[in-house]
Amino acid sequence: MMKLYREKDKLWLLIWLGGLLLLWGWNLLFLNKPAQAKVQSGLLNTFFISSLVIVFSAMLGWISGVGSYFLEKATSKIPYLTVTFFLNIIRSVPQIVGILVGYIIITVMIQDGSLSSTFYIMIIIAFVISLFVFIEISDLVRERITYFRRRDFYNAMLVCGIPEWQIVNREILWKNSVAHIFNKLIAVFGITVFLLCSIDFIVSVGLSTSVSAVNLPVTLGSLLAKIDSKQDILAIGYFITHPGYFPKLFFEHLQGITVAFLIVFTLLCIYKISNGFARRNEL
Amino acid sequence: MQSKRNEHLLSILVVTAVFIGMIINFGVDSRQAVDARNTALQQYLPPAGSVDFRDPQQRALLKETLDIYFPENQGNNEALVLEIQRYLAGETAASISSKTPGSALDGSKLLEIFGMLLSFILVYVLVMGITYYGVQTLAIFRFTRMKQERESYLAELWTYLQALRNKEKKVAINPLKIFVYLGKACAKGLLYFILFSPAYVIAYSFKTRFDTDSFFFMVLLGVISNGLLITYAQKFFTFLVGESRKGYVETAVVKNLHNDYSTNEKSGIPLKNIFALRKAFPGHVFEHIYINAHQQYLAAIKEQASFLISGLVIIEMALNIQGHLCYELMQNILYRRFDVVLVIVLGIFLVVKATEIFTDSWIARDARRYANEEGAEA
Repeated sequence: MMKLYREKDKLWLLIWLGGLLLLWGWNLLFLNKPAQAKVQSGLLNTFFISSLVIVFSAMLGWISGVGSYFLEKATSKIPYLTVTFFLNIIRSVPQIVGILVGYIIITVMIQDGSLSSTFYIMIIIAFVISLFVFIEISDLVRERITYFRRRDFYNAMLVCGIPEWQIVNREILWKNSVAHIFNKLIAVFGITVFLLCSIDFIVSVGLSTSVSAVNLPVTLGSLLAKIDSKQDILAIGYFITHPGYFPKLFFEHLQGITVAFLIVFTLLCIYKISNGFARRNEL
Repeated sequence: MQSKRNEHLLSILVVTAVFIGMIINFGVDSRQAVDARNTALQQYLPPAGSVDFRDPQQRALLKETLDIYFPENQGNNEALVLEIQRYLAGETAASISSKTPGSALDGSKLLEIFGMLLSFILVYVLVMGITYYGVQTLAIFRFTRMKQERESYLAELWTYLQALRNKEKKVAINPLKIFVYLGKACAKGLLYFILFSPAYVIAYSFKTRFDTDSFFFMVLLGVISNGLLITYAQKFFTFLVGESRKGYVETAVVKNLHNDYSTNEKSGIPLKNIFALRKAFPGHVFEHIYINAHQQYLAAIKEQASFLISGLVIIEMALNIQGHLCYELMQNILYRRFDVVLVIVLGIFLVVKATEIFTDSWIARDARRYANEEGAEA
């Protein structure tokens, strides 16, 4: 028990999974079946897209980080400057704005019939989000390479005839930086849940007239934007002035409360898991 | 610093040029597209007075009728009803005012957007200032607690209960103490939930209680929601912990600098210094830990600025706060006026770039001051 308390990442992972399980059980008892099905698919879609973002971001971050390192060493500086220039532009675009532009493109593609499968839509959404979050991984990769390049073993390995790409990819990143990258990917999962829910909420609230005709996958954000969920959330404010209303939140307003709780609880737990992991591995 | 500034200016120039080209292109295209769509829509318009599109029931009835006649394409039927509704709403709005969201991008529209951008910048600067203070204060507070070897309230309660169970002499049963621990733990949990809540969850919770469209509420939401404060406080805390492990801290202690982290001792870190606007801890080793951590935090401010702008965009869009920049952005996406959309996005991009230039100058100035680097590269 004490060991688990000290390993905060494992503790919070257990709390997160336990919380989700408990909530699922509660909903099974008190939430109507159609709403329950919606919440389940919203949760699964959100986690599926977020997991895809992790995969895409890891790939893009690794490739761009290593690629820009080797381009910097090349004799011609033009490719390096071009790549850095575009990476800096992506960095300067607030993530939500970039993703919103991506959503407009996805909506246009759905409306003109070039995109119809929900599965592919989710993959493209994940890719769009990855484009605006992978920079963190790319920066970390560059940071790790710069850090290890100053160490003696780097030059020693070069002298031994080991190719530089092998030193960078295998010795530095794979053998000595996996924990760092994994920790960053946990944080990416959290930021993706936040961005995805926010963008889906915005699109469903503000652009509902233009996207309701197209089939964007249900996520926690779009579920929260539904009028019945919003009514449920409004009930929280009502409870502050009418404390006796508190128990009703868990029975009569379960859909909205569940969705809001899932978003906030997941963000909180991911933050704690990431911090715990960093502390345990002394990152 | 010069090369950094040139890089920023070059990217501003390139992006602005590309955006202006697209704005001109979209301006022509979107006007033509809107005209073409409206012309196509005319043939589907029901005779005047036959359907009241303000009435949801009549809209639903029309949609169901269309579904009966064209069951194979129900999505398009819904889209058609919505298009007609939007068209008629646009017509009504145009008859009332010339400044509808769909109006052309002319001088007055640009001026209107500029005014909104200024208001957006004002909120942004205020929230940035408050979070800059809040992040450091929270992180320092947490750091001193860590140095005092304080644990979480639940852990402290557990230790207290263990002591009671082991019948330690100095520990007496005090039910109030148990409630205080539990109360503090609950308050902390609630605070965490608020700090991690997306702005729209908090705002909708209080929509009927407060005026959520007010300037004050926007600033408040920007500070406390979306996990901004807690995420960057954690980052600053990590910098503090990293610095406190470095060798110079030991040297400073040997040289007789204070190393006591209690908040009620003269040689410690008084609370008023932690909460002060301008943080200084003279004679204490923490002064140097703080200065070095602060330098690292400056680099993170660019990232924080971008995240903060994302948060503000979410707040304005999700709450549909009329007359604000991102509400206008949303409306123009809805009306497919992509030229106006591009102008707003360009404005937001320039705000981020201005922050980056400002932060890089700050980093360079600090590097010259502390690292003794003349003309230091940020």
